[in-house]
Amino acid sequence: MALGLEGSANKLGAGIIKHSPDGTSVVLSNIRHTYITPPGEGFQPRDTALHHREWCLSVIQDALSQAGVPISGVDCICYTKGPGMGAPLQSVALVARTLSLLYDKPLVAVNHCVGHIEMGREITGAKNPVVLYVSGGNTQVIAYSRQCYRIFGETLDIAVGNCLDRFARVLNLSNNPSPGYNIEQKAKRGKRLMSLPYTTKGMDISLSGILTAVEAYTLDKRYRPDGLSQGAEDQDIITPADLCFSLQENVFAMLVEITERAMAHIGSREVLIVGGVGCNERLQEMMGIMASERGGQVFATDERFCIDNGIMIAQAGLLGFRMGHSTPIEKSTCTQRYRTDQVHVSWRV
Amino acid sequence: MNPPLSSLKLLESATLISQGAEAASISKVYRGSLSSEGVPVLLKYRFQKQYRHPKLDTSLTKSRVAGEARALLKCLRHGVNVPGIRMVDAPAGLLGIDWIDGITVKYLVPQGLDKQADETIDQLAEAKTLDQFGITIDALMNLIGVEIAKMHLADIIHGDLTTSNMILRSPQSTADKKNTELVVLIDFGLSYHSSLVEDKAVDLFVLERAFASTHPDFEPLFASVLAAYAKMLKKDWAPVQRRLDDVRLRGRKRSMVG
Repeated sequence: MALGLEGSANKLGAGIIKHSPDGTSVVLSNIRHTYITPPGEGFQPRDTALHHREWCLSVIQDALSQAGVPISGVDCICYTKGPGMGAPLQSVALVARTLSLLYDKPLVAVNHCVGHIEMGREITGAKNPVVLYVSGGNTQVIAYSRQCYRIFGETLDIAVGNCLDRFARVLNLSNNPSPGYNIEQKAKRGKRLMSLPYTTKGMDISLSGILTAVEAYTLDKRYRPDGLSQGAEDQDIITPADLCFSLQENVFAMLVEITERAMAHIGSREVLIVGGVGCNERLQEMMGIMASERGGQVFATDERFCIDNGIMIAQAGLLGFRMGHSTPIEKSTCTQRYRTDQVHVSWRV
Repeated sequence: MNPPLSSLKLLESATLISQGAEAASISKVYRGSLSSEGVPVLLKYRFQKQYRHPKLDTSLTKSRVAGEARALLKCLRHGVNVPGIRMVDAPAGLLGIDWIDGITVKYLVPQGLDKQADETIDQLAEAKTLDQFGITIDALMNLIGVEIAKMHLADIIHGDLTTSNMILRSPQSTADKKNTELVVLIDFGLSYHSSLVEDKAVDLFVLERAFASTHPDFEPLFASVLAAYAKMLKKDWAPVQRRLDDVRLRGRKRSMVG
């Protein structure tokens, strides 16, 4: 049994997972508290860290009481080592260290991306999928080979979630429950596909130029912030919904294309989508069409496991702990930069 | 959009060869012929992607086919060995090029030693094929270097240089030609036009990485490719060489943030 603590961005999560000797595992609790900023604003590291410090103990308390186990009952305490924002990571790592010393439990440092992948595999049962990891801070196409998750393609500049969030800020959309969700809802009413740059570079993509281009449309003469035409002649208009729709169609087509390339390259038929943007249903739908064209299958999870959570840290940490990994307290650091392919995946053959 | 009737008929008469490598994600490759005499052509068909918005898909396919054809044409004009263009139907996503008889360079260069058991047999087979072509491995690397240099002198960047994208033409099909026209570069699906030293260096780096991953124990061969390339580029080599060293240091070490 493991307690997982996550706080690499604006979500603070705690979860408890139990692995049984017969190979099955049970999620005992999965609690999350999100730091939500007013529309038009992003989250700053300092304020996010403050939020985490404020809520951390009550979130852990909730996780323990929902699971119905005392903290002395867990075998190890897993925390996110990175990648992520420095200040929030440190706040949560501090809590993990304190708990570890108080209750004499071993610590396990976990790579955030590996946490996402392992949780996705556990929930969906996908065996050896190509993984598309799309979130606010990361955009990577990953496949497993020789005890390492190798990165086949990634963004050359900003992450896809960052691109969507920032555009949501331009449109002044609400950050509750998340900017990406609100873009998705708005995009459903979009009809007009505006032309945007399509920037795939081999298996990599670039997104910052697209953000600039879509922002430029909000300064266009035809742009109507309220989405309404001003009379019968005023038909040639661009609405916020159209822009959300165009942005999604364009960016997701690029993501699906690089995933398809990776699948072709390694000859895999399974795709797993993880990360916050992974709960976008349009992305899941497009990926599903692509996978079925190739005679394959797509695996995706819902917001409980897609969006950052504590349980995925517990899952990846426990897998490592069972192989004999633990992190001595003097080495229990955090790092903002921690690549997915730096982790030795000892629990897979 | 469906291809027009004439293109459709052509596809129907052709046989599907592969959905392999880079082509796998974008296109299907057919072998067909344009005339009844049966001169074979290779048809690269970028079929419609259902997941993409139709409008986006149409414009992308069109510009990609046109771009590939344009790069091939420019290479042909500058005397780079590439397949000749036989037909282009950009709106339908169809490109017809010369059928090249020969062997992919990937299968000619020894593939590393991970298959211990088959090793000796494999190497024997390889030596035999190279003999068939009457060419040594160094001469082959030399030819590759020369072709890439010619392409870069024409300011075309391939974008996906690997040993899978080079074909060594069969001797019988080049009987009436000079030996220097043996290696043919193919698959310009990711190519673009640029005169920047940076882009050329990255192009070479991609090939170097491909050598390292496909032929792990024969990486030194890449040095002979570079030597030939340098000889061909003459005074333009020094800046490319400097930039290549930079690119090597950069590699894929970008740390992620967030």
